Amino acid sequence: MPDRADTLWWLPHDPLLALVFQFGLAIIACSLLMLVAVFVLRIRLVLRQRREKRFAAAWQPLLAECVYQVPETLPQVPRAMRYHFMKLWNYHHESLVGSARKNLEQLAYALKLEEISRDLLHHSDLRSKLIAIVTLGHLGDRTQWHELRALVADPSPMLSLAAVRALLDIDAGATLTWLVTVMAAREDWPLARIVAMLREAGPGRVTLPLIAAAEAAAQVEVKGDTRQIVRLLRMMEVAHTERIGTIVGRIVRAATDPEVIAAGLRLIQDPRDLELVRCHLAHETWFVRVSAVRVLGRIGESADRVVLTDMLGDRHWWVRYHAARALIALPFTSFAELEIIRARLPDRFAADMLGQAIAEARAA
Amino acid sequence: MNMSELATGLQWFFMLYFIGINCGYLLLNVLSLGSLKRYVESHSLDDLPRSVSGFEPPVSVLVPAYNEETTIGSSVRSMLQLNYPDYEVVVINDGSKDGTMDALRREFALAPFPEAYWQRLPAQPVRAIYRSTSHPSLRVIDKENGGKADALNAGINAARYPLFCGVDADSVLERDSLKRVVEPFLEDPRTIASGGTVRIANGCTVDNGFLTSVGLPRNPLALLQIVEYLRAFLFGRLGWSPLNAVLIISGAFGIFRKDVVVAAGGYRRDTVGEDMELVVRLHRVHRTRRIPYRIVFVPDPICWTEAPESLRVLKNQRVRWQRGLSESLTMNLGLLFHPRGGAAGWLAFPFMVVFEWLGPLIEVAGYMFMISAFLLGVVSGEAFFTFMLVAFGFGLVLSVSSLLLEELSFHIYPKPQQIVVLLLMVILENFGYRQLNSLWRLWGLLLWMFRSKARWGDMKRTASWQTGPGGKGTP
Repeated sequence: MPDRADTLWWLPHDPLLALVFQFGLAIIACSLLMLVAVFVLRIRLVLRQRREKRFAAAWQPLLAECVYQVPETLPQVPRAMRYHFMKLWNYHHESLVGSARKNLEQLAYALKLEEISRDLLHHSDLRSKLIAIVTLGHLGDRTQWHELRALVADPSPMLSLAAVRALLDIDAGATLTWLVTVMAAREDWPLARIVAMLREAGPGRVTLPLIAAAEAAAQVEVKGDTRQIVRLLRMMEVAHTERIGTIVGRIVRAATDPEVIAAGLRLIQDPRDLELVRCHLAHETWFVRVSAVRVLGRIGESADRVVLTDMLGDRHWWVRYHAARALIALPFTSFAELEIIRARLPDRFAADMLGQAIAEARAA
Repeated sequence: MNMSELATGLQWFFMLYFIGINCGYLLLNVLSLGSLKRYVESHSLDDLPRSVSGFEPPVSVLVPAYNEETTIGSSVRSMLQLNYPDYEVVVINDGSKDGTMDALRREFALAPFPEAYWQRLPAQPVRAIYRSTSHPSLRVIDKENGGKADALNAGINAARYPLFCGVDADSVLERDSLKRVVEPFLEDPRTIASGGTVRIANGCTVDNGFLTSVGLPRNPLALLQIVEYLRAFLFGRLGWSPLNAVLIISGAFGIFRKDVVVAAGGYRRDTVGEDMELVVRLHRVHRTRRIPYRIVFVPDPICWTEAPESLRVLKNQRVRWQRGLSESLTMNLGLLFHPRGGAAGWLAFPFMVVFEWLGPLIEVAGYMFMISAFLLGVVSGEAFFTFMLVAFGFGLVLSVSSLLLEELSFHIYPKPQQIVVLLLMVILENFGYRQLNSLWRLWGLLLWMFRSKARWGDMKRTASWQTGPGGKGTP
């Protein structure tokens, strides 16, 4: 047997140096392990891709057949392919409409997809949880209503929004009555996603809950908290415009916060509110003036031509730009008239802006 | 202190510096692993048809161009075909001396447009503004030469939308690139900037401005840069993102909130590292004024760019990058250890100063000292080989781990043989390439110290990977 000194001949004699040397060796060993891991991962990836390809080749025709009828005989879905199958099924469900969707749901029940989803819903893995939530929503499975409702309060926006969508899929009417206020309050939920979901639910379902929430929030706004009301006003862009006019008018009249006024003005469609719009043309905040000018471009009258021409000389570029566009959009305004207005403008910046807007309108 | 003690002290200083810098990177690697896992999981259902929101904010894509006649046509064409609901493309011809403007006129039927140009940020005079009659969302600003930052400022002045995205004229974007990089702005209204991963296009096939197949280049320098880019993006940036301490968003592809950038004064025109300087400044301004904000990095590979294939061009690039880094850090020293500096001021900034900015100086000095001291017999063979083992071991572990991250997430390179080639590069880059890079970066540091004049990067584009109009054929 060689003694210790012989076996460790390759180690530096200085103990500190020997420690660093061993550390270096450990790092290299770690690299080699990772190198092997890269190879193993690649082999696993290739095998998984092959398996998924074979699986998709067997299931794609069956899922496509659901456009007409539910296939009579269905192969088993192996446990390892469950996630992949659920993705495939959801993909088809979101791509199809009408009776084809109903057939897909029948197929899912035949394969006990609702049970699998319920099981995955309690998984710790985010990926499994997300696919389970989406599937339960598409299946309209009410048995997990309370679990999904509890998930709406989850701190993760990804999970909570998936739960919101599922609940809207299951019963939009019942969900929206309490969800709209949550949507306004949860600032970590992207407004764009919320608006997209509300649009999917349709103006018929969202208008009344939005009006009710806006009525309640308008009281809070008086006390100074404007963030919720601004979110609600942005959400109201998908509601029936003729039914929200009263509450929006009331909010804009009472508001002092420029964000609230600008968001409210965006929603005004009724020419009876023109006076309310006009009184904000001189507002000190530029984006309120932009909103007011844009409304005039939508519902303004020929009489607004003078005030819009004046707005071409505004100190803010965007106000001038939208005033020029609004001027062009006014009824009974020809390009010849616009050129005359432009020629008479004493301000070069105003004339340049109107020139740009005319060129844009002509190009369009 | 005698000579031998001094040598031992220096030997340990360099050894501990190498261990420290690499442990720092390994820590970033661990952070990236967590971020990447969360990112991949949370985007696992993105390919379902209903996940498309359609409510993304409009974006102005700004393409500064200087002597880009070879690639400008296909680049702009690819940018006009992005999968995004509402965006405009603004090309800024920065007084090119070649046929860039003619190529644009020819390919996109440009006509002069009477635009009320709003000079919010300082920039050289605009000669004319054109609008494409074939692509209404394309405008071209023809201006006097003033450098890339100046061109970007002119682009911001002309931009119509609340977000702008700076893109290099030679870059090739994925169709979904804007959607993916805008996502952080949708998720969190505090987001002011977001950057995406840039990959190397050499060896790939690009047809009509779009990447059609991913491949590896034959040129060994380009191959080595692939591993380097993986390391720089997959953990160099992703690791800082959860801490809100990303200090670099590549000029090749980054998106910003226009009002925030205008309020901060736009791009500085006296630096070659205008992209990094802007990001560091945004951190400084927001931190010191206590304005809530987020600067995010998106790990999806979304932008492809041509890497230099000759030592001369690569050297110039690295020298420029190091100068840019030096300028960005010294222009924003107020962020360093500022009481309200947060992770950006207390972690990322000092990390950059010690390991990236002064790193080349210490690394080159370390190598030179250890080699010469060993040859002169001042340092023992044991110490020398231990130093080399640690330097090589850490280099290897960091590169392999970036490849592992890639394999765990996006697996961009589809063929197993490509992985084998990359693994080979991971080993080879430790024998000369890394050391050469340190030398170039040291040169950049010295040039910065002696304040030589900043210019546009003079990389000669070959565009050899492009096919279709504007390209030069398949590789």
